[in-house]
Amino acid sequence: MKLDARVPAGPIAEKWDRHKFDMKLVNPANKRKYTVIVVGTGLAGASAAASLGELGYNVLNFCIQDSPRRAHSIAAQGGINAAKNYQNDGDSVYRLFYDTVKGGDYRSREANVYRLAQLSVNIIDQCVAQGVPFAREYGGLLDNRSFGGAQVSRTFYARGQTGQQLLIGAYQSLMRQAHAKAVKLFARREMLDLVVVDGKARGIIVRNLVTGELERYVGDAVILATGGYGTVYYLSTNAINSNVTASWRAHKRGAFFANPCFTQIHPTCIPVSGDHQSKLTLMSERLRNDGRVWVPKTKGDKRSPELIPEEERDYYLERKYPSFGNLVPRDVASRNAKQAADEGRGVGESGLAVYLDFKDAITRLGPEVIKEKYGNLFQMYNKITDEDPYKVPMRIYPAIHYTMGGLWVDYNLMSTVPGLHVLGEANFSDHGANRLGASALMQGLADGYFVIPYTIGDYLANNPVPKITTDHDAFKEAAQNAQNQINKLLTVKGNRGIRDIHRELGRIMWDDVGMARTDASLKRALQAIPKLREEFWHNVSVPGSADNLNQSLEYAGRVADYLEFAELLTRDALDRKESAGGHFREESQTPDGEAMRDDDNYSYVAAWEFKGVGATPELHKEPLEFHEVHPSQRSYK
Amino acid sequence: MAPRTGIFSSSVGTKILIGLTGVLLVVYLLIHIAGNMVVFLGPAAFNTYAFTLESNPLLPLVELVLLSWFVIHIYKTVRNFLSNQTARPVAYQKKKSAGHTTRKTFASSTMIFSGLWLFAFLLVHVKAFHDGWGTQYEWPAGGRDLYRQEMETFANPVMVGFYIISMLVVGSHLWHGASSAFQSLGADKPAWTRVILPAGKAIAVLVAGGFIVIALFAHFYGVRS
Amino acid sequence: MRLNLKIWRQAGPTAPGRLEDYTADSVSPDMSFLEMLDVVNEGLIVKGKDAIAFDSDCREGICGTCSLVIDGVAHGPDRGTTVCQLHMRRFKDGETVTIEPWRAKAFPVVKDLVVDRSAFDRIIAAGGFVSINAGGAQDANNILIPKDVCDAAMDSAACIGCGACVAACKNASAHLFMSAKISHLSLLPQGQQERYTRVTAMIDQADSEGFGSCSNEGECEAVCPKEIPISNIARMTREYVMARLSK
Repeated sequence: MKLDARVPAGPIAEKWDRHKFDMKLVNPANKRKYTVIVVGTGLAGASAAASLGELGYNVLNFCIQDSPRRAHSIAAQGGINAAKNYQNDGDSVYRLFYDTVKGGDYRSREANVYRLAQLSVNIIDQCVAQGVPFAREYGGLLDNRSFGGAQVSRTFYARGQTGQQLLIGAYQSLMRQAHAKAVKLFARREMLDLVVVDGKARGIIVRNLVTGELERYVGDAVILATGGYGTVYYLSTNAINSNVTASWRAHKRGAFFANPCFTQIHPTCIPVSGDHQSKLTLMSERLRNDGRVWVPKTKGDKRSPELIPEEERDYYLERKYPSFGNLVPRDVASRNAKQAADEGRGVGESGLAVYLDFKDAITRLGPEVIKEKYGNLFQMYNKITDEDPYKVPMRIYPAIHYTMGGLWVDYNLMSTVPGLHVLGEANFSDHGANRLGASALMQGLADGYFVIPYTIGDYLANNPVPKITTDHDAFKEAAQNAQNQINKLLTVKGNRGIRDIHRELGRIMWDDVGMARTDASLKRALQAIPKLREEFWHNVSVPGSADNLNQSLEYAGRVADYLEFAELLTRDALDRKESAGGHFREESQTPDGEAMRDDDNYSYVAAWEFKGVGATPELHKEPLEFHEVHPSQRSYK
Repeated sequence: MAPRTGIFSSSVGTKILIGLTGVLLVVYLLIHIAGNMVVFLGPAAFNTYAFTLESNPLLPLVELVLLSWFVIHIYKTVRNFLSNQTARPVAYQKKKSAGHTTRKTFASSTMIFSGLWLFAFLLVHVKAFHDGWGTQYEWPAGGRDLYRQEMETFANPVMVGFYIISMLVVGSHLWHGASSAFQSLGADKPAWTRVILPAGKAIAVLVAGGFIVIALFAHFYGVRS
Repeated sequence: MRLNLKIWRQAGPTAPGRLEDYTADSVSPDMSFLEMLDVVNEGLIVKGKDAIAFDSDCREGICGTCSLVIDGVAHGPDRGTTVCQLHMRRFKDGETVTIEPWRAKAFPVVKDLVVDRSAFDRIIAAGGFVSINAGGAQDANNILIPKDVCDAAMDSAACIGCGACVAACKNASAHLFMSAKISHLSLLPQGQQERYTRVTAMIDQADSEGFGSCSNEGECEAVCPKEIPISNIARMTREYVMARLSK
């Protein structure tokens, strides 16, 4: 099968406008005759469901949480980028586009990224109109800040709760449509299978998490907006219930999975405190503006930080990268922290941390200024660790934060299964190998508010499907499939905890498929994962029954999928013998230890086709062409 | 869509009505106690004051208005209490105040009981005032000798005890109620609240304390005068 | 550290529930309260026993999913903290801790410590929004909003919809939750068009859901993880009066 990205012709700046005109429309009176299934209620899902409801489609919207408002988009702190150029500092759609392609280390599709940059300005307008309380200046205009090393101030923010406020905005629009009965909401439902009829996505099987019943829903198209797969690493900044199940089961039904090895690590998280740890907490990268990163010069130096004299400290980022210093990009900062820990110079009880020291900043600016700038972050750190960062240096360590890979989609955000569209973090489309700070929110909302409302109409108008009911054989088969998996999970009755197996999977992934990957480590992981999967299916203990709320069963199903998915991620990482963005292959680095791309051999999207559990998936390549932004090597020296 | 309720039937409207009648009753109590203080000026002043009040042709009207405030206040609070009881059908096994900024006190937790006690007290009180308690005396300059009646009533330690307890209950009711009424009426801004909260408590002490002092005065000094 | 736990177990919405005793051994002071429960659950799961059901998701205090009443206080003893951010160093070795679900008629128990808070969604659906369709918005900077007004709106908008206010209120009232949304939108120019229809619709919805009224005790404010003050409730009252007088 040849991958067709269906990128419209014409100059990059005109592609989307031209495409909008070329696409077919659905007559307003006919829209209500179409049922669109939307899975997920994060920024992408809620904005899509609300917008489609506004247009008049009959929308069914599902989420695993008890309320659509709780999707994990809510946890994004920093902000949302938009090429408004309100600050008159030289920003433009083209510059945002350029920065995003470059930041993605030239592994994204130019046309998609350009559209994202174009739509960024509409997002801000839309959100402000909804009442999102973005920070303001005294004159009443919107405030912006520079974020994640950007040269312009294009980030809009609502305190440290931008994701929350944007999600609440989308949620309110969604609830308005629910009230108008344009959208029917189904909370506490987990998608367990995609139903494909005559090659087209026509429905889903969900488990009602309260009653345990398997429910079938039929529609004319299906939209997945089910987020990323960071919790394959067990510990990540993702929510406890974030999972790959919906994407993975769609993958098993024919949707290609693209670039799963592109995972992002965030350098400033609070370190792990013990085996009991269930998730990691991210602190804003802003901290690196004033904090200095260091470790002791000597291996195994376990003295408390204030006893280590200045000349025995290694401010390694400042030493290695004199011009960027502590502000090097996320992946560089993360890898260097891991390197220090690997050398035995890590700090704290576990040795899996480095110091982020504010002493100089406090001396220079005074504690009041530091408090004003970082007070809430210091408080959060203090609450979790019981240490006072005004007195002792913070301990930080990288953690999995975002996944750039996802289901492959074309320019219309449609996967390789006709009718199945994928939005937000769940797709692979816009961030390439690395996502810029404050761009995740932008992508989710662009997809939901401004892309899918057009492209879904084109699909529906071009693809009339016969009316079917949930009694169709395909539904029966899919429901049976889901039921079999549930039965299987409940009958293992082993003696190992689900969390324990997940934790072990996470350890494999973090150690061997984490920040720095080698041919040997990846091959090691490819040996270990199937073994662990085997262990899971023979020895997992899933108590309770399937006929009521059973969180153990839910969790076991998700871990089961991760045990399959992890293999794909690893295989993708092994296959891509270059370093790019969040994917660092130790074999492919410059003499300075910088990530080195191999544009001659790997300038493509790796889209994997499922061939069976344990079977080698088939690789399909979508070549990437760069007409606007010419690939160059990053340097932060 | 939820059915549209009448302005004073909704949970917020109910609060407004309770708050409004509450504020009016507090104002009435303040006037009431100011009037009762005349007792310290001696029998003549007190009985003249009482007679002036009683002989005012508008008195029945005022009493009617006052009665309506009481009736509304009591009716709404009791109904509100009953419907609030249904909002949590299964009680907590263990429940305690969160502390921090809470305004919850013993007084606020017992409003319905203090209120019902006061309702009972009110019946006794009004009956005593209207029909007299014990022996009725004429006041030569006109009207009744309420001063003497009051002194005799409070000579009885049981009466003083009942009265003082009731006034403590008034104090408790106002300890929360006086400031809470303002909150119910929507008057809560940080700058105001800093005044309203202590002022409410001050009113509670003033009203309860004032009436108690009068009762004690009557008990200990009344018989001699 | 070792803790004695008394945890509410209830098989389903209509089943009777009761407190059951559990022990949490080798509790580390660095654990969050929910991680402590995770460990208890892991112990139950390997024994093939039904794990204790409780809700949580982001575990960083922003999603509003976690919802436990700990020793009689919603979200436990720390001010401005969700249960997921409460750490075990707050407890003493050998202590007995009682854990219950949110209790309200409008929040029926689903299982154990999990409750159904969809009533909150219906309150928002009744009017907690600005009626604006995607695509029709003017340029964002055409709407000028003074910084202090925007900051005040943000203070109210910070509500995470966890329902602790309801759980803590002796009347199981949703007034703080509602008033936070009503304040957020009525403070901003974008919310003016529907200012009055919103407040009445939301209040009517909350009343019909079976939430109680407000007694101004401020327990809601004291447990609110976002420390949203009850001055919001007063603002809601003013909005309500204006709404009813204006028509």
